[in-house]
Amino acid sequence: MFQATWILYGCSELELNSLLAFQPLEDLNPIASSSHFPPPSPSLPKIFFNTYSSMASRTVSKDVITLKGSAAIVAEFFGYAANSILYNRGIYPEESFTKVKKYGLSMLLTQDDDVKSFMASITSQLSEWLEAGKLQRAVLVIMSKSSSEVLERWNFNIETDSEVIEKGVSREKCDKEIMREIQAIMRQIASSITYLPCFDEPCVFDVLAYTDKDVAVPFSWTESDAKLISNPQMVKLHSFDTKIHKVDTMVSYKADEWDEEE
Amino acid sequence: MVALKTAEKLNLEYKSSLEAISNRLTKCQQEHSKCAHHLCSVEQELQASKGREHALQEQLLKETSEHQERFYEQLKRCSELEVQMQKEIEFRRQAELTADAAKEKASAVEKELLIISENSEREKNRLQLSFSHSQDESKLLFSRVNAELDRKRIQADNFAKEAELLRKSLLDLKEQLNECLHEKSQLEYKLLSCDSPLVKANPSENQTLVKHLRDELRKAETELHEARQLKSSHANKEFLTEQLLEEKGRREKVEMELTRFQEVQLHAQRLESELTSWKSLLKQIPDVSCYDDIPKKIAYLQKEIVENMLKVGEGNARLKELQVALEMSNLSKEHTEKECKLAKEKTECTSMEVKRLELMLLSVSGECEKLKKDAVNWSKQKSGLPGSGQTNETDLETLLEQKEHAIRELGRNLCQQRESINRQHDEIKVLNENFRIEAKNVKSLERENERLRSENSLLELKLGHGDYSVENTKVLRMVNTLGINNEAKHTIETLQTELQKAKSKLQAIEELREYSGEVITTGIPEKLSQLKGQIAVLEKREERYKAVFAEKISVFRRACCSLFGYKIVMDDRQRPNGIPVTRFTLQSIYAQNDDEKLEFDYESGIATILVNEYTSQQEIQHQPIPCNCWAPPLSVLRDLFSLPQVSSPPQLFSRPPWLSAVLLVSRPQLSRLLIAHLAASAAHQDAVAASPVRNSPRYSFFSASSPGHHFSSPSRSYSASLHPRPPVLFSRPMFFFSLAAASARLLLYCPWPPVFCPFSSSQQVVSSLSGHVS
Repeated sequence: MFQATWILYGCSELELNSLLAFQPLEDLNPIASSSHFPPPSPSLPKIFFNTYSSMASRTVSKDVITLKGSAAIVAEFFGYAANSILYNRGIYPEESFTKVKKYGLSMLLTQDDDVKSFMASITSQLSEWLEAGKLQRAVLVIMSKSSSEVLERWNFNIETDSEVIEKGVSREKCDKEIMREIQAIMRQIASSITYLPCFDEPCVFDVLAYTDKDVAVPFSWTESDAKLISNPQMVKLHSFDTKIHKVDTMVSYKADEWDEEE
Repeated sequence: MVALKTAEKLNLEYKSSLEAISNRLTKCQQEHSKCAHHLCSVEQELQASKGREHALQEQLLKETSEHQERFYEQLKRCSELEVQMQKEIEFRRQAELTADAAKEKASAVEKELLIISENSEREKNRLQLSFSHSQDESKLLFSRVNAELDRKRIQADNFAKEAELLRKSLLDLKEQLNECLHEKSQLEYKLLSCDSPLVKANPSENQTLVKHLRDELRKAETELHEARQLKSSHANKEFLTEQLLEEKGRREKVEMELTRFQEVQLHAQRLESELTSWKSLLKQIPDVSCYDDIPKKIAYLQKEIVENMLKVGEGNARLKELQVALEMSNLSKEHTEKECKLAKEKTECTSMEVKRLELMLLSVSGECEKLKKDAVNWSKQKSGLPGSGQTNETDLETLLEQKEHAIRELGRNLCQQRESINRQHDEIKVLNENFRIEAKNVKSLERENERLRSENSLLELKLGHGDYSVENTKVLRMVNTLGINNEAKHTIETLQTELQKAKSKLQAIEELREYSGEVITTGIPEKLSQLKGQIAVLEKREERYKAVFAEKISVFRRACCSLFGYKIVMDDRQRPNGIPVTRFTLQSIYAQNDDEKLEFDYESGIATILVNEYTSQQEIQHQPIPCNCWAPPLSVLRDLFSLPQVSSPPQLFSRPPWLSAVLLVSRPQLSRLLIAHLAASAAHQDAVAASPVRNSPRYSFFSASSPGHHFSSPSRSYSASLHPRPPVLFSRPMFFFSLAAASARLLLYCPWPPVFCPFSSSQQVVSSLSGHVS
């Protein structure tokens, strides 16, 4: 019996997932089906299709990671991390979140349409900057709704491999390892509520991006101050590395008045 | 015999002694062989010890050379560290110098800050003074406006009272006039009926009567004049009421402005408090005196950060170097410690060996002594029996001498070894001292390491805090509209579009600037002043236009009001759904109260009447009001306008001709006649029917084709007929308004004063009018 399988070269499973997350559903249909020959999609430049006879095996080259894939991983990580922070820090009511399986954990994603669209536009923009190697840092700032005082800053420091940007070479890293690293960060974010001070007022969040100076400001973005916290407490979290982008996570927060008294 | 016997005895004794001696000799020989063996073994041991000693010496030499090498290395490292320390000291000195310079700069900037703060304080005081002055002025203005308003109001009240009085007198005079006219007509009738006999009979009486009548006529004329004056005063009153209303509006506006002024004041206070807070914040920031300094300060701080980062980098590199050196020294320390231990162990071993050798030497020397004694004894015995024993003795002696020599050599070697051990001890002591110094160095390096680590962590903290270099980084923020309500979102969107436009403009200007290059930049101040002048001129012109327009519009309004008898007020409003709409309010100058008005919402060419108390009256409610068909037929208007040209007496139509006509038309009977005339007129197919309703005449259009059905067809072909009870279609205001609108249209095409073509039947109308009046 003749069977066709789709072999995806040049991108890891995690990377593939991330890529698929940004593809429209109609583009993904050929991948889902395995009984006919769809033409290779021009919208997936890094993915090559091939056919195998007899064996219905799905071979995936897992170790190679490209710039685009890495950017997608980091942007997606930021989206999930931001959602997790918004849930764990109680910025939005917990009813507005739904559970999804990701990174081997059950992650919470917001169902609020406004927040969803806001996060989607952020991640797509971050991905664009990451691909260009222009993003130095992404910061999620939690502020008081009434006074706009900055209460918490979630720093995602990004170091990009300049060689990959300049020469367009790819790197090798096992996607499972990346997933394990991200999982550790997600666990730390979830457990951060144990030491972070409680918010006793309604809060809002904001996203800052530290970019290179030569980046053109997109329409929905404006130049801003760094929204710093004076005399903050800092906790460094785990980091993850795709071999192209290294993401260091750190949370700085306004010291609790009780701790200061003590 | 005895001698023999003694000799035999002696022989026996000698034999026995010989045997004993031979035994002893064998023993001695055995011992000698033993000794020889022992000597051999001693010699072997000596050789072995020599070999060992040689090996030890070689090892020692090697160790000493190694130690020396290591020592040289340590010395080298020490010298390197010293050089580094000197470098550090130099760095420190430089840092101190820069710190001093920075302090000087800070003091200078503080002075500047003081000066600037004083200046700002002065400026603030000046602004406050001007602000209080403007406040006083506005208060004064407000009070003046209030006083003016009160004055106007009182004046208006007075005028109203006066008008009321005048109206009353007018009514009286009218009555009197009517009476006079009646009398006059009666007299005329009488005169006519009496005919000439009376005149003939008594001409003087007639003359007196005529005189009397003329006097009365004059009186009536004067009264009529007064009545006209009264009418004008009434018009004045209307004008004044309008003025009063305007003044009221102005007052409301002023009140509004006042509330806005208060708001502005509050805003100003808020801004001031903000300003003070900012100033206090500025004061809190060192080296910053004004807002312009903040970017500089930030830039300076960023520079400092960059420098610090560089320093941190250097520190880190140095730290790493030091760490590497520390590790190396630790390793060498461990190595030397091990070596020390080894050397100690070796020395212990050698000392043990020496002791052992000493003990052996002692035992050998004791044995030698014994052997010497034996040899002496042996020689003593041998002296009695010279012979073969002599050679053995000499051999033994030579052996002994050799042994002694060897022993002496061994002793000498031992001394040498002791000396070398002592030397090694000294070396070890020196090395230990070196080691102690190195340990001290290591401790100091560790301390420095700790310091640098803490510095590093501090800088890392700063970095984690969110600081960044402005030179190569910018912070962007996603515009967040999540916490903002819809209204604010809308404003944000509009602002964003404005921003976009402004950006595009800016870009265009920049492009233009690039294009024009230096030409523009050089002539900018002149151009600016020129443009400012132009702006000032244009502003002045605009003010003038405004004033002229206000004057003209007020004249126009008054004219419209007096011409059409309707006051039209235009008002821009907003519906609850936010759509702007223009509202027109129509009020007749004959309105009996303020509620008698019509309101229309005018929106994109469509006017819709609004329901109010007046329009909800049953009679008016029943009337279908076609909003876009208010204009009466032009022919009607033409007829109306043509009336005064043929009318007499002319005084009656001294006011705007059509208004007089309308005034006349307002009389029901009169209007009927007019309509009858209009119906008779062949030139017109449209007509107006009028019927008095509730003292206020209302006019209706109705179809001629079906006289019984009012407004049966939307066609414009109407004819007039005297309907027994004409159906009410348009209320008077409606009619007036339509009349006004049509007149306005007419006026647009006709020259002023309008020239109307009189038509033949007009005279009849007037005559019938006069006949009706009489």
